[in-house]
Amino acid sequence: MAASSPTSTAVYVYGVVRADELPAVAAEGVAGTPVELLERDSLAALVSRLPGGDFRVKRRDLQRHLAVLEEAFGEATIVPCPFGTVVRSDDDVESVLLGERRDELLAAIKRLEGKVQLNVKATYDEEELLRELLQLNPELARLREATKSLGDAGYYEQIRLGELIAAVVAERGETDSRRLLDRLAGSAEDAVVEPAGEYVALKASFLVNRKKLRKFDDALDRLAGAEQPVMRIEVIGPLPPTAFAAAAAGT
Amino acid sequence: MAVATRGTASNYLQRAPSPSGLADVLDVILDKGLVIDAYVRVSVIGIEVLTIDARIVIASVDTYLRFAEAVNRLDLSQTETAGIEELRDGGSAAKRKSEGAIEGAKEKIPGLKSDKERSR
Repeated sequence: MAASSPTSTAVYVYGVVRADELPAVAAEGVAGTPVELLERDSLAALVSRLPGGDFRVKRRDLQRHLAVLEEAFGEATIVPCPFGTVVRSDDDVESVLLGERRDELLAAIKRLEGKVQLNVKATYDEEELLRELLQLNPELARLREATKSLGDAGYYEQIRLGELIAAVVAERGETDSRRLLDRLAGSAEDAVVEPAGEYVALKASFLVNRKKLRKFDDALDRLAGAEQPVMRIEVIGPLPPTAFAAAAAGT
Repeated sequence: MAVATRGTASNYLQRAPSPSGLADVLDVILDKGLVIDAYVRVSVIGIEVLTIDARIVIASVDTYLRFAEAVNRLDLSQTETAGIEELRDGGSAAKRKSEGAIEGAKEKIPGLKSDKERSR
């Protein structure tokens, strides 16, 4: 591959901005190289050179990629690329990305302008959730008592009890997920829901207008207050709109 | 991690301006963003290795046993001594409280759309 050749011309691409919105990026790029702006017809791609030889991404490069996006996002509307986007040459960046996809990119910038991404995760407190479910479900409470009295002998009863709890937890998760999404959707422009892990009621990215940030935060605050102590909500952002870039470009 | 908190629900709402943990960073930048046409792309060594941490797989007997253990571990003495009547009252009070908050949210956000409207 070109990336491992010593005469590599490969360029790492972070994203695209309007050229007049971002004069330069100070943050260090992937592999510790400086970030440059490749311009064509009022659009600019944020890129950095990959070192020749056996280049391999490292954990620190994840932070560097994010730092570049965040710096650009602080000054301009950026259409971010996924981590690890590497293109053969400057020519390809200019002709294929900035040239052929110019209209798409301009439309995406317009759609993302003035908007930020907020990543929301609502996690159950295991103990509080199970306590509540046992209260709401007498059958579950009865089975728990019966299983407990069997001790180690009740291996299959344990599995049966666990299966039942898993089902009740999953059902509760679906209901809560819909409700949380509905409560927050009114203050957001768009939302992308991701598969939730164990004891996660909702994991989603929201696209929020900067002017409505306070409103969104108020909605979150009320939600967190109402759902405590069974749930704890974490919110990260404002972030560059990575989860919405592809859709904004119509791809 | 810089976490700003405010309001009465601060313990249950954590705000961070930027992701700090590996999983949160991956959530933001992995497989998300504008995809460039494959024929001009070059693959980079090591990306797969970095993504392993981000994926979680569950659903097995082990999981069921863990659920059962968790529920057995639960110390119900506190609620058991509280008495059933009190529990019932506590439960419905909590429900009333959350319903009130939800109605409040509706009132304050006139633009609240249903799922159907949003997906249009």
